[in-house]
Amino acid sequence: MKNKILEIKENSQKEIKQIENLEQLNLFRIKYTGKSGLLTEVMRGMRDVPKEERPMLGSLVNEVRTFIESEIENLETKFNEIELNKKLANEKIDITAPSKNSETGTFHPIQRTFNKLIDACVEMGFEVVTGPEVELDKYNFEMLNVPKDHPARDMQDTFYITEDIVLRTHTSPVQARVMEKRQPPIKIISPGRTYRVDNDATHSPVFHQIEGLVVDKNISLLDLKMMLTKLLKILFGENTKVRFRPSYFPFTEPSVEVDVSCPNCNGEGCNLCKKTGWMELMGAGIVNPKVLENCGIDPKEYSGFAFGQGIDRLTMVMDKIPDMRMMFENDIRFLKQVK
Amino acid sequence: MKLSLNWLNDFVDLNEIKKIENINDNGTLAVKLAEKLTGVGFEVEEIIETGKCLKNVVVGKIVKIERHQDAERLFVCQVNLGDRNVQIITSATNVFEGATVPVALDGADLANGIKIKSSKIRGVESQGMFCSGEELGINDGLYEGAEINGILIFKDEFIPGTLVSKALFLDDYVLDVSITANRPDAMSVIGLAREICAIYRLKIREQDLSYNVGSEKIENIVNVENKDFQLCPRYMAGAVSEVKIEKSPLEIRSRLFVVGVHPINNIVDITNYVLFEYGQPMHAFDANNIDGKKIIIRRAEKGEKISALNGSTYELSNNNLVIADENKPLVIAGVIGGTNSCINENTKTVVFESASFERSQIRKTSRGFGIRTDSSARFEKGIDLLSQELGLRRALNLIEKFGAGKIANGILDKKEEEVKNLEVSVSKNKIDKILGISFDEKDIVEILSSLGIESKINGDEICLSIPPYRFDIENDNDVAEEIIRMYGYGVYDNISKPLFEGASVMVGKHDPILKLQRELKQILICKGFYEINSYSLVPSEAHIKLGLGNRSNEVVKISNPISDELSVLRISMAHSLLSNISFNVKRNNKDIKIFESGKTFHAKSVPLTEQPTERNILAFASIDPADDFYTFKGVIENLLERYNQKFIIDYSKKAFLHPGISADFTNENGEVVASFGKVNPVVAKEYEIPENTYYAEVDCDKLLALPLKTFKVKKISKFPIVERDLAIVVDEKVTVGSLEEIIKQCCGKNYNDVKLFDIYRSEQLGDKKSLAFRIKLLSDEKTLSEEDINKVIDKILRRTNELYGAVLR
Repeated sequence: MKNKILEIKENSQKEIKQIENLEQLNLFRIKYTGKSGLLTEVMRGMRDVPKEERPMLGSLVNEVRTFIESEIENLETKFNEIELNKKLANEKIDITAPSKNSETGTFHPIQRTFNKLIDACVEMGFEVVTGPEVELDKYNFEMLNVPKDHPARDMQDTFYITEDIVLRTHTSPVQARVMEKRQPPIKIISPGRTYRVDNDATHSPVFHQIEGLVVDKNISLLDLKMMLTKLLKILFGENTKVRFRPSYFPFTEPSVEVDVSCPNCNGEGCNLCKKTGWMELMGAGIVNPKVLENCGIDPKEYSGFAFGQGIDRLTMVMDKIPDMRMMFENDIRFLKQVK
Repeated sequence: MKLSLNWLNDFVDLNEIKKIENINDNGTLAVKLAEKLTGVGFEVEEIIETGKCLKNVVVGKIVKIERHQDAERLFVCQVNLGDRNVQIITSATNVFEGATVPVALDGADLANGIKIKSSKIRGVESQGMFCSGEELGINDGLYEGAEINGILIFKDEFIPGTLVSKALFLDDYVLDVSITANRPDAMSVIGLAREICAIYRLKIREQDLSYNVGSEKIENIVNVENKDFQLCPRYMAGAVSEVKIEKSPLEIRSRLFVVGVHPINNIVDITNYVLFEYGQPMHAFDANNIDGKKIIIRRAEKGEKISALNGSTYELSNNNLVIADENKPLVIAGVIGGTNSCINENTKTVVFESASFERSQIRKTSRGFGIRTDSSARFEKGIDLLSQELGLRRALNLIEKFGAGKIANGILDKKEEEVKNLEVSVSKNKIDKILGISFDEKDIVEILSSLGIESKINGDEICLSIPPYRFDIENDNDVAEEIIRMYGYGVYDNISKPLFEGASVMVGKHDPILKLQRELKQILICKGFYEINSYSLVPSEAHIKLGLGNRSNEVVKISNPISDELSVLRISMAHSLLSNISFNVKRNNKDIKIFESGKTFHAKSVPLTEQPTERNILAFASIDPADDFYTFKGVIENLLERYNQKFIIDYSKKAFLHPGISADFTNENGEVVASFGKVNPVVAKEYEIPENTYYAEVDCDKLLALPLKTFKVKKISKFPIVERDLAIVVDEKVTVGSLEEIIKQCCGKNYNDVKLFDIYRSEQLGDKKSLAFRIKLLSDEKTLSEEDINKVIDKILRRTNELYGAVLR
């Protein structure tokens, strides 16, 4: 009897090595551990074994059964794994086929430039203020030290609605409106649309500016330079250099043109900067004391600086847009490129 | 302002600058001067080499002319170039033996683009080419005969072998300098010379403006009465008799030519020369036509007429200043001369005017009549009271140099006030504060002195004596600018200090409208819309195209539009978006989804007496086939989600929307905050866009005024949600919204959700429709029993039947 049990074990050992799949394993299971399997049969034959041998043989049979069952389980796990891998392999899809995700749009490049500048300035403690696009001559010119029949009016060809109402030629009237209402400290920027009688390949009659104004005690041209350097570094990177050139605007004195080291070639000289390494960016200066006075701020106590940045050309530089007109035509194929 | 270096050399010793800069040639000098001028605020836009197309073009004297053996129309000429002879073949027939002509040699690159290389023509050597005036880039004004069809024959005895550029005084460089509006004094050779002398700390060359006078007293020729010192602070006159009208000397003609002035005759050239040199506009009268030998400066009488040199006749008013004689106006002061007293070839006696006029009056008159002349352009920027005398003396000095006539004894000078330096005192401390750095007193004095300004520093006070031509300098800021621009902004490069040191600390803040728009735009971007940027100026017929009518009491018109296309301000964003779709469709672009935030403009009354109302609108549109009324409704709901507001929906009254497939959302105050829907097919046709175009707009100003939602988080019920589907049949006209409202009511406190999931129509149903709703019920207290649910369903059926005749399907 004992031999028979050991023989079963031995045979099972041999057979199990031949098993290749779950089906064969199942047959094997039935053959050895099933209801009418070999081990069950042995247990049935226990009746004929002398009583004193029964416990020993019984535990031997159980031992062999446990052994075979664990063998089966191991094998089953192995085969299941193989099956699963096969199934996963069959389910493989083409991951390069297009997504079902719907397309998203984008901001217009001009708006994106505005957003960048606005965010940078708000971070530096500026308050964003807007003003009307249809503006009184008084705010657009007169309070900014450009009286009627002043030669400086030639610098800005103006769309008139009536003699006293114009389309604002710059965002500067917002300066006058804010200074008229508040006393310093004032630290604002004003983004917006502006209009001039100008229409060619490089000028659009409708364009965009951002105006900055700081009025407080002890504001100097050096502060202007430091502040603009910081702002332009945010826009163009840490290596950006800023330079001032003397210029003239009626609302600032001293007035400067602000050049930035060409962001395209890092000041090395390229076609974009006409080999100069510099790019003319904005007009700025110390607020003319006459303007402060016109707005009811005492120029003896306070001083300020202002800067005006054209957005359209800046956007062309930053986004490498070859033609100004593309930004106003809005061909959807253009907009899809500027994401 | 075009600045000739040869001319400049009369005022500044350019050799001295070459020495300082260690430069040998004028080309490099021109570049250097351009850099320096730009550095002190006079941007040089272009450097023009005037003799560029005259390189290797020399004066030649034709010695002998023979016919070409193999070509009937060609001539072989032996030409003397001084130290050598060359052989030139020409087809020109106006040349002759003994003629002095321009000869282009090997390497010449002429004005019309021809490059010269010696070659054989039909077997005979030709070492260059004779040139016409056109090939040299000159005209009759500069040299008579330059515009004939043939070779330019020099009438002067130029020495053979001389470079033509030298012979014609054209070996020059011209800087095109941009002069800012505050520096009219620099619109002259002397003005820029002063700046250059200041840069290099050189002394300006003194000019000899002397001349000899004849015995005749000026009063015998002309007298001046200035009746309006306010509009004409200074009027000077000089006179010349026995005038011979002829060409100016070649060197003078050349100088005018290179700065872009057409030489005419000696008298007119003198006025232009003085204008360029001293910035003083001059006028020359034929004295014979000054009635009563008297010049009167007065306001015009209403209705007086003058026929001007430009061929037009102008009717004057009391606002115009005229220079008149006893009987008639001769000149619109400072703007344009009249034909009645102008210089002509028979003029024998000339009176020169050298005056200063009040600038804004000149500007008004010039604008009023639409006349812009060199003279008006200078006067309206302002001219100091020194230039009249310098200009007049220079004019008379040139008369003597040209031998153009006899100068009368005496000059007339009508002014009210003595011309003197302006005494100004400024604060050193304030200047330091403006510049952010403190300059040495010594540097300040030196810089100001280089600019002709004498200064004394006494503690904080700087006392300045400013010459009349710098009337732009008035206060601390002006002086600060002079110091920093001459010192150079490079001084800031190596200074660093804490940003806004000593100023108040401020906290940044976004603009509420821009912030709201940016947030709403972000939603549209996620929904696949692209932002566009279009003109707020639109064609006058735009609003008619939209079906809004001409709205003449609302539309803001531009009084000086560029074109009709950009002549009014938009009152609706729809035109901008539909035009853009039209543009894209014409370019064959598909599935266009766009948005734009912008302003619309609404006049309060026409003509405008105050600023129009400006509304901030966010609009979007789509021709994507996936979009319809309901997707747009969904987007609008997304945009409005944040507001604690019960919006009412009704069909939109916007004329450009389809009346049955559009809606307005109205807030609790009854204001429309959003409109959207299918574009009216008539409007779609007008814009040539697909009928399936959807458009929406939201009023950002109105949204900004609405309260935002706040929320209180409720516990989540432990009990299960139960679902029931219910299909009911109703008349077509019964709306889903009204049924949903009843279902909600019937569910009472156990309401969780109701959604329409099917609409079914069939022949059997006739003009009725079947609507299938999925109703979800949920209680906070218990699991709802079958009985509870049935009660609700029964109630729904009863109520909808009572109100809308609904029956269970």
